[in-house]
Amino acid sequence: MNRHTRHQFVGNPINNVDGFSKVMGKARYVGDMNLPGMLFTQVLRSPIPHGRIIKLDTAPALKILGVLAVVTSDDFVDHSLFGWPVKDSYALAYQKVRYVGDPIAAVAAETMQAARAGMQAIVLELEELPGVFDLRKALDVDAPFISANPEKGIPNLAETYIVHNGNPEEIIKACPVILDESYFFHHQEHAYLETEGVLAIPNDDGGVTVYSNDQSPFINRNNLCMMLGLPIQKVRVIQPPTGGSFGGKDDINYQNSAQVARLALITKRPVRITLTREESLIASYKREAMEIKINLGAEKDGTLRAAMAQITADSGAYPSETPLAAWRGTMHVAGAYRYDAVTVDTKVVYTNNSYSGAFRGFGNTEAAAAIEQAVDEIAERLNIDPVEFRLKNALRQGDRTMTGNIIKEEVGLTECIQWVRDQSDWKSKRAVYAQQKTEKEIRRGIGIGCYFHGSGLGGEGDDVATCTVKIENDYSVTISSGLTDYGQGSRTIHTLIAAESLGVQPERIQMLRPDTQTSIDSGPTVASRSTMISGNAMRVAGQNVSRMLTAVAAEVMHCKPEQVTRVGESFLGPDEEPLSFNQIVDHANKMGMPLSANGTWGMPKIEWHFDKGSGVPYFCYSYGAVVAEVEVDRRIGTTEVLGIWMAHDGGTIIFPQGARGQMLGGIAQGLGYALMEEMKYNQGYPQAINFDNLLIPTALDVPHMEGKFVETNFKEGPYGAKNLAEPMMIGITPAIANAIAQATGRRGRVVPITFEGTLLGHDLTPPAPIKDIRMVLGFKV
Amino acid sequence: MKINFTLNGQPVTVDTPANVTLLTLLRDNLGMTGTKDGCEVGECGACSVILDGKVVNSCMMMAPQANGRKITTIEGILDRDGGPNDLQRAFVEHGAVQCGYCTPGMIMASEALLARTLTPTEEEARNAIAGNLCRCTGYQQIIEAIEDTAALRRKASITLKNSREVIQ
Repeated sequence: MNRHTRHQFVGNPINNVDGFSKVMGKARYVGDMNLPGMLFTQVLRSPIPHGRIIKLDTAPALKILGVLAVVTSDDFVDHSLFGWPVKDSYALAYQKVRYVGDPIAAVAAETMQAARAGMQAIVLELEELPGVFDLRKALDVDAPFISANPEKGIPNLAETYIVHNGNPEEIIKACPVILDESYFFHHQEHAYLETEGVLAIPNDDGGVTVYSNDQSPFINRNNLCMMLGLPIQKVRVIQPPTGGSFGGKDDINYQNSAQVARLALITKRPVRITLTREESLIASYKREAMEIKINLGAEKDGTLRAAMAQITADSGAYPSETPLAAWRGTMHVAGAYRYDAVTVDTKVVYTNNSYSGAFRGFGNTEAAAAIEQAVDEIAERLNIDPVEFRLKNALRQGDRTMTGNIIKEEVGLTECIQWVRDQSDWKSKRAVYAQQKTEKEIRRGIGIGCYFHGSGLGGEGDDVATCTVKIENDYSVTISSGLTDYGQGSRTIHTLIAAESLGVQPERIQMLRPDTQTSIDSGPTVASRSTMISGNAMRVAGQNVSRMLTAVAAEVMHCKPEQVTRVGESFLGPDEEPLSFNQIVDHANKMGMPLSANGTWGMPKIEWHFDKGSGVPYFCYSYGAVVAEVEVDRRIGTTEVLGIWMAHDGGTIIFPQGARGQMLGGIAQGLGYALMEEMKYNQGYPQAINFDNLLIPTALDVPHMEGKFVETNFKEGPYGAKNLAEPMMIGITPAIANAIAQATGRRGRVVPITFEGTLLGHDLTPPAPIKDIRMVLGFKV
Repeated sequence: MKINFTLNGQPVTVDTPANVTLLTLLRDNLGMTGTKDGCEVGECGACSVILDGKVVNSCMMMAPQANGRKITTIEGILDRDGGPNDLQRAFVEHGAVQCGYCTPGMIMASEALLARTLTPTEEEARNAIAGNLCRCTGYQQIIEAIEDTAALRRKASITLKNSREVIQ
């Protein structure tokens, strides 16, 4: 077990390597970058949810003083078509607009005021088309078509997925206790504190250098090459410090990057775009809305037998990553339990509600919240304690998951459930709250939510990364990864792993920022894959260079490499006279031996058969459990979260401060999703366009939190580590929902759980005025 | 228009347009980008500065209103050696910094609290940063950093008081 292994650096206290520049206000984000002659960008965005572009005349904009260029979809290869896994998005709208905020044209000017005046001078005529605003109606025969080329050939159907593991229908029919319920989830906004931003600088060679606060600079680079028609050598994407992302800064920044890169190439001047908060909230992609229907069957003793689920995911106007998020939801929607049979049927549909894409938890946030409420509901029908019910059915090593694959790795789920149960004083609180008088207005409840979360990309594709390690002449160490740190701490994790594998102090190590010209393409920074995949690649790179150092030491000490041992940074040979790290580096330099190496690591291959709905979706999983205690005031409809207890099995913890940060921050995001973050759309119009009406948790909304890491050993992981950043928010929403259900005796089955939704059954807030949104977008109203 | 104010302890005279916010003046005209732009409607606190001892959102103030006032920005928070001060070190040590975008504003709100009291309760600390949104940390680490710094400064002020008594 790794938990018993002592490491020199991994798992030991260390500060975030970027911490001091950030607390001093010295970290330079995109919006802090100002260059001589830099131009500013304003984007013309759609004021309606669905329409045909009848006229788009940009010439009047060019007559505005200070305006230097305007671009539309005509300025790009294939009208700026891009997108993955479904290629059906545009950097600037082509022929149609599909959502409120859809970018249509981008103006570059000497000042923001001139750019805005230029944008307002553009002549735009739209023919408004009927839209689709309810994911449940997207596939109706009379629904208006949104995409010109839907992937599946069926109007408004972006993608479908299935799980086919036995015949649950027969089993459920024969079960003494069954559950058949539907759960709905509204959109969620990432609300990273730094909005999207890109700075494009034209190069002498006709190419462009782009500073973009995205997550995946190589995907951005590849998209730019495609849309601008430039070879790889002429497009360089560099990732500056990034003020949060949580899945949210990819596709929107690919759009922004294409716009300003083309403007920079045309004007031969640096061009920057930074979205205002309103623009960001209106234009950027969201967590998809989702409806999940669950059918469960159980025995009287509480043994779960079979599950059937149907998922409908709202991708909005463009697919972005919604199909893959829905696939992950599909692979997890029956939860971390044993079943005899499970089927899932998932549809990803187009609507005119903004567009949706990646967000922390990636489909499993909704899937876990649905199944964990369903499991609570069936436990209640059986009159079994929710914790006991879960312990009875929870996955263990050697069990088959809902998708039929056998779990070969250690499973810490039971330990997680037991810890949150004991730590929260579950048994006595659950009993006391069950005795509350029904007429009592202020009522308390306690609830639990569990989860499992597949590690890495799984069946989405090859999961490989390459890192580099180089020892410099001044004895410092330069390392790089193609994956990004947008606040989650992966730069510190890579530093620790390099220090451990190289046997040098972390202070010697400097990590470069991802740059498509100096780091190596390692796929997207998603799915909590940085530590596991890139961290492992860093371990391999460090070990490769460490072997070189040992070889040099052996030569100096006239012995065999296997006779060389390490004491701290020093090298010890048979004569026991230590040689310092610096001496070895000097000697290697004299020999003309470069001390640098790459390291590549990939997840062991697995195969998911998309057509059959069977196979192995993930090589391994992380697990966790959460208990939430709430107080509901039924007079004014408020819910206060009194306490959260969370345990997570993410294997070995490499950077304890960072891991704790992921846990506590994940809890806060889960709490916001559960209770307050209403990112609703009314006829396609967003109902919140700034932080005055989109409420995210403040320091007063978050209770004291207690957490624990159950460190099982994932032997393939770097020093035993698994994934942990994404899953941290997954268990919070169902734990809170289940606590509210105990407190109130009612269950709204809609997230966020609001006073209106749970107790009244209808909205009290009138729709947001359309003119406010249009005004913010720069239209005269 | 010309205005005079004290910025991070130094008197400054600047020619500013009358219709820009203090945030714009700081970031665009004075190039002090440590103060962040998060929402421009006074809801997120990323642009917090200390004005005559009180924390304010610099996006909600017009630049000319700074005339004759004392303003401290994140660039003015540092130790004597130019490095991070005790509060900034505590932020790093407690993991109160992740993406770092809210951090300058959080530091300003925390300094304003600690200038008021060195014995803040948890509730007071939470209230002091309630106008500053953080999407990464969950706030608990920030509260810990404030409480730790308060304890350190209490100790330091007692030491200072004692040494004064000895001198007297």
